[in-house]
Amino acid sequence: MNRDHRQTLRFLAATAGGALLVLLPFYAGPYTITTCVRIIYFGFLALSVGLLVGQAGMVSLTQTAFFGMTGYVLGLMGKERGLPFPWPDLAALGIVLVFALAFGLVSMRTHGIVFLMITLAFGQICWAFAQQNTSLLHGWAGIRGIRAPTVLGIDFKVPASFYWASLALFALSIFVLRLITRSSFGLALNGIRESPRRMAALGYPVYWIRVVAFLIAALYAGLGGLVATYYTGIITPTTIQLSRTIWVLLMVILGGSAYFWGPVVGTVIAVGLDVLVSSMTDRYNAVIGLVFVATVVFFPRGLLSITDRFGSRPGVGDSAKLLDHEAEIGKMG
Amino acid sequence: MLKNTLFFAAMLIAPQLPLYAAGKEIKLGFISAFTGVFSAFGTQQKEGAVLALEEANYTAAGNKITVIYEDDQLDNEQAVTKAKKLVEQDKINVLTGLVSGDEGLSVGDYMKDKNMVVVPMYSASEDMTMRAFYPTIVRATWTGAQSMDVFGYWLAKVKGWKKIYAVGEDYSYPYNQGGGFKRGFFRGGGLEVTTVWHPVGTTMDFSSLIASIPANENYDAVLYNGSGGDAVNFVKQYVELGMLQKIPLIGQSNTFEKPDVESMPAEIVGSLSPHHTADDLATPAWTRFREAYTKRWGHDPSAASEFAYSSMRLILRGIEKQNGDTSDAAALAKAMTGVDLSDDPRGPVRLDPQYHSAIENVYLREVAKDDQGHLYNKGVWTIKDVSQFGPYDPQLYLKQPADSAQYPPDHPAEMPPQLLHSSSEYQYLPFGQ
Repeated sequence: MNRDHRQTLRFLAATAGGALLVLLPFYAGPYTITTCVRIIYFGFLALSVGLLVGQAGMVSLTQTAFFGMTGYVLGLMGKERGLPFPWPDLAALGIVLVFALAFGLVSMRTHGIVFLMITLAFGQICWAFAQQNTSLLHGWAGIRGIRAPTVLGIDFKVPASFYWASLALFALSIFVLRLITRSSFGLALNGIRESPRRMAALGYPVYWIRVVAFLIAALYAGLGGLVATYYTGIITPTTIQLSRTIWVLLMVILGGSAYFWGPVVGTVIAVGLDVLVSSMTDRYNAVIGLVFVATVVFFPRGLLSITDRFGSRPGVGDSAKLLDHEAEIGKMG
Repeated sequence: MLKNTLFFAAMLIAPQLPLYAAGKEIKLGFISAFTGVFSAFGTQQKEGAVLALEEANYTAAGNKITVIYEDDQLDNEQAVTKAKKLVEQDKINVLTGLVSGDEGLSVGDYMKDKNMVVVPMYSASEDMTMRAFYPTIVRATWTGAQSMDVFGYWLAKVKGWKKIYAVGEDYSYPYNQGGGFKRGFFRGGGLEVTTVWHPVGTTMDFSSLIASIPANENYDAVLYNGSGGDAVNFVKQYVELGMLQKIPLIGQSNTFEKPDVESMPAEIVGSLSPHHTADDLATPAWTRFREAYTKRWGHDPSAASEFAYSSMRLILRGIEKQNGDTSDAAALAKAMTGVDLSDDPRGPVRLDPQYHSAIENVYLREVAKDDQGHLYNKGVWTIKDVSQFGPYDPQLYLKQPADSAQYPPDHPAEMPPQLLHSSSEYQYLPFGQ
């Protein structure tokens, strides 16, 4: 098969898949829509973690804090102070960026295990603050009664409308992230993942590149938090607890952190398994756990490494692309 | 990209596989924490509910009753997602279960505009039947403050205690239990409840916390306002550090509950706590329930299992009263509030027609040792017909802020003065009368 045929096939497959997704509310039941919205909001979170882990080599345990932060701001400003859309949403994203910048400026001086620990600490501080602050955040009870707005006559409380809106947002965000990872900024990020010292020696502002990557990742987590909070109507500390953080990290690893689509595929599978297996057995956590173990044993680079085994044409698997990147970085140097 | 698309397609199509069942049936959704910190409560709840269903042969008014159980791991996002699944996919008629207060509030919020009856079981958050009440919630069980107001009042008024040192788990249910305790204690003449909070389920070593309790400042008792593993650890260390000889220990409703009390040292015999059940209730209804439960599950019932049993019977009787018609949720809820629960194992239960919450007995109990050396909760006093508002005027009560780590304050002088007077008085009857 030549390259043109492949391109056509890929285009057709993408169109068909896209059509299936867009037309979902017409042929699928309401719970499928709920599951897909759930995939979208955890997908945002997985993209956020995936960008840091896969593209920049930074394992961050703090992304769920940004996810919850937008939810809380939405609750505080939208539900409790009654500000109209889109002000609470913009404020939420703004506040996430401020916190991410402040935290990024500190944490990006560290690498490896120290970075892991400092992000763990920040995530846990946010969680502990949310569950213990009763005057503002209402402790364990959290904020309830948050509802999606009506914009331009469209009531986003209707699940189908909400689904389309979040699907569009998700598609746009994936597209933008794709552009970012393919830009020279993305390549520099890959370079930093491989060897920060070498990149610094080449004259790259390693620290600032990492800070910006962290800001982008925080923004994606925040967007996921907006979708989740509107759709579930609540924000409580359990949303940002450590088990959720670890679950998201596992999703990313399941799909394959080094692949652009890895986090999304991981989310689809993890959320899908959760839905399918939990309706069959009470021991669904064990089943899901076994799937993770099996994945790590048989596909240490994630499920998407299957694609490497088939077409080994350059540009499909990102592992192949990695080499390209390194070559390019080498050239740039 | 092709493979990714196939993944997506498979995930989209899989949930569409038909799951239809034939015949007329009424579906109940049951959300609970079967895994995680509260799994013990979740399991007991399921056992109680299953017993009630089996006794009714899984039928009500000639209709088959099916129950779909969902685990939420005590995570509110999961709880709401599972509620959505039950409503959207399984098309349930009534939602029940719910262990923790926050789980109840979160699910309650989602169910608000779904026009469906919600029957919370062990979930004690008072706002579900107060500030966040809506007409299709029916709760035949309890609120956090309901048993504690009675207890605090009695300690101050009858025992004449003035100062309490309260150590509690830092979340909403102990806030509400502590809130009820403080209101009752101050109204009865108590002067001080010093309150200290610790994080839930993370403190294994309470020695520094216990060491900081001043032994010579005339505290009449230490109230441990927590439950489960925290309670077992705290009580053990309290005894081991020799504090029990200096200051008596009392508990909130769950502190000395079975099965936790069985892991506690025998020295705590005599420690007081209030609840809506007592292990030595000798009424025919309780004896019959206890025997049936022990026969079915091989261990004694707890308050959580009794609450689930009585909630499930409420649901079944409500459906019967409506002749199996569950289409009108408001009518079904109204029918439930009129169901006769005077034969409830824990004592007669009525439902407040306005806020759909239980009016029932509170028992003051003390830890005692049975012939085999097992610890249990022995009833001492019975207080009849206690509502979620206690002795207060509902309008006055609802005007106060919800209980939190900071409210109510530690001294009666900082309390709203109207709350120190009540519109009615409790009657304390010797247990068993």
